[in-house]
Amino acid sequence: MKWITGSAWTALFNLALAVPCWAQQGSTHTGRAWTASLINESTAIPYTRFFTTPVHPGVQVGTEFPLRQGRLSRFYATAHAGYVYHNYLFQGVYLGSDLAYEHRLDNGFCFGALLGASYLHTFATTVEWRFENGHYVQKGDTGNARVMPSLTLETGYYLGHDPQRPKLFVRYQSWAEYPYSPGFIPVLTHISLHIGARVVLGRAKAGPEPTPAP
Amino acid sequence: MIRHALLLAVLFVFSGGCRKGEERPASDYACSFPIADSSGSRPQASVCQGLLATMAGDGVPGVLMSVHDPVRGEWNGSAGMADLFNGVVLAPCNRTRVGSTVKMFTAATVMLLQEEGKLDLDDRIAEYLSGDPIDRLANADQATIRQLLQHSSGIFNYIRSARFQTASLNDLVRVWHPEDLLHYAYGKPAAFAVGSDVAYSNTNYVLLGMLIEKVEGKPFYRVFEEKLFGPLGLSLTAFAAEDPVPADLIRGYVDLYSNLNVIECTYFSGWDYFTADGGLISNPHDLGVFLRALVNGQVVNAASWAEMTAWRSPSEQDTEFYPIAYGLGIFRMQTPHGVAWFHSGDAIGYYACMAYFPDQATTVVWAVNGNYGRIDQAVSTRTAMDRIFNAVLP
Repeated sequence: MKWITGSAWTALFNLALAVPCWAQQGSTHTGRAWTASLINESTAIPYTRFFTTPVHPGVQVGTEFPLRQGRLSRFYATAHAGYVYHNYLFQGVYLGSDLAYEHRLDNGFCFGALLGASYLHTFATTVEWRFENGHYVQKGDTGNARVMPSLTLETGYYLGHDPQRPKLFVRYQSWAEYPYSPGFIPVLTHISLHIGARVVLGRAKAGPEPTPAP
Repeated sequence: MIRHALLLAVLFVFSGGCRKGEERPASDYACSFPIADSSGSRPQASVCQGLLATMAGDGVPGVLMSVHDPVRGEWNGSAGMADLFNGVVLAPCNRTRVGSTVKMFTAATVMLLQEEGKLDLDDRIAEYLSGDPIDRLANADQATIRQLLQHSSGIFNYIRSARFQTASLNDLVRVWHPEDLLHYAYGKPAAFAVGSDVAYSNTNYVLLGMLIEKVEGKPFYRVFEEKLFGPLGLSLTAFAAEDPVPADLIRGYVDLYSNLNVIECTYFSGWDYFTADGGLISNPHDLGVFLRALVNGQVVNAASWAEMTAWRSPSEQDTEFYPIAYGLGIFRMQTPHGVAWFHSGDAIGYYACMAYFPDQATTVVWAVNGNYGRIDQAVSTRTAMDRIFNAVLP
């Protein structure tokens, strides 16, 4: 898919806005968990760098869907939407989901991993010119469609022993941008360093109990 | 809250997130040749101009060319645009980035230093440089100056480091210094044992620039000015370190996604500014003057020229290009029109190639302000060069 139309954009946007409604319908007695994070994105080989400069800012918001719950561990799925601005190179909006595992320690610290996939749509951060009829013309940038597989490592801290209490977290997200430049750079790798928080909002509503983890 | 955040993000993407072009007056690009240019009356004018129009019609933003032979004289021409945003048409005398063609200038300077008795090509580079560049680059402790010049040192090419490639994309306007670039070659295995093969490596020429500075006690580009630019009258030529983006530099464009949708990248070539493997700003006329002077013995003496053209073929040829052999800062390619001695060069958004055909005594130099993706297919592939040589050679 080379680009998406305005109507497709509308559909994607509506899907993002519909996620909270769907989350409420699937809510358990614990309420709905929401996450928000600030991002520093970079093009880099994953796990060779941690914090990079210059800072390329971004933001991500998401929600969680519990799958299996143990006393100190849980499996869950996420839905998320985000935006990154990489100076001079691209800006992109994405919408996706993760499968995630988290293990908590008794002292409130936790660690986990998230395996995800997103749809990413990138735009130039400067004027783009399109070659038409033998000349370059300034174009309205319809952007480029990308797949964005990701693997994220997380460490965090619950502000209390109850997992319903707020959590502060740092996430190291390695991800790929595909296709990037056919015949030149087929895949471009990135890292996004997140710092954020998870909060549980809402009160008990009818819903299935999560299956206990063994 | 989430609705507002998403709405803000979408609004930013479609409105405030896009940097506008840089407004510049056309007078910034005013230029003139240091010669009385009579290109329009040359017999090859119409054919050459038609070639440039064809290249521009294939999606090359702007193309400059200089063709010279003893019978028909010199023709300089251009097609396309110097600056898309400001609508400035390219002129034959405009200046552009010519990337790695500087390696021929670097090699000529080293040959001159040998002629002056200041070094010997068979000296080891470790006799002049010390510290990390010697200790942390595989093969650097054994490699000679000649092996650096001929790319037979086996030293890792920093540009092939995936870490460097992603780091350069991460900060496209960073200004890199030699040690920053060498860092990406430190600890990397050599491509082969010293002297056992030839393979192109920019790292060799970063070290040669440091060598020139060590021997002469001044920046290598000052030595270029004193020994080459000034004596040859290359008034359109300068090294980027002096002024990385001069006001008259034509804008560069990159087809990053191979779809002829280009963005401007004039300020993206920061790793070319302070090392002798790239960074030259010039014009095809000046490059042609230099190349002809070199092959005609007006730069280095006959003994040096013989050393520069002691060709060596790589163990594996690129099957998609002409068969090539490595000299010292110069290459030989076997084209359908016969042998050509040449060097080409890329910077982000720019490409240039200078070639001399000894059988026809003809110099062909072209430079464009766009590269990568589909633009490369029109300017730097074997097919592109076949078209150029078929059109311009007598």
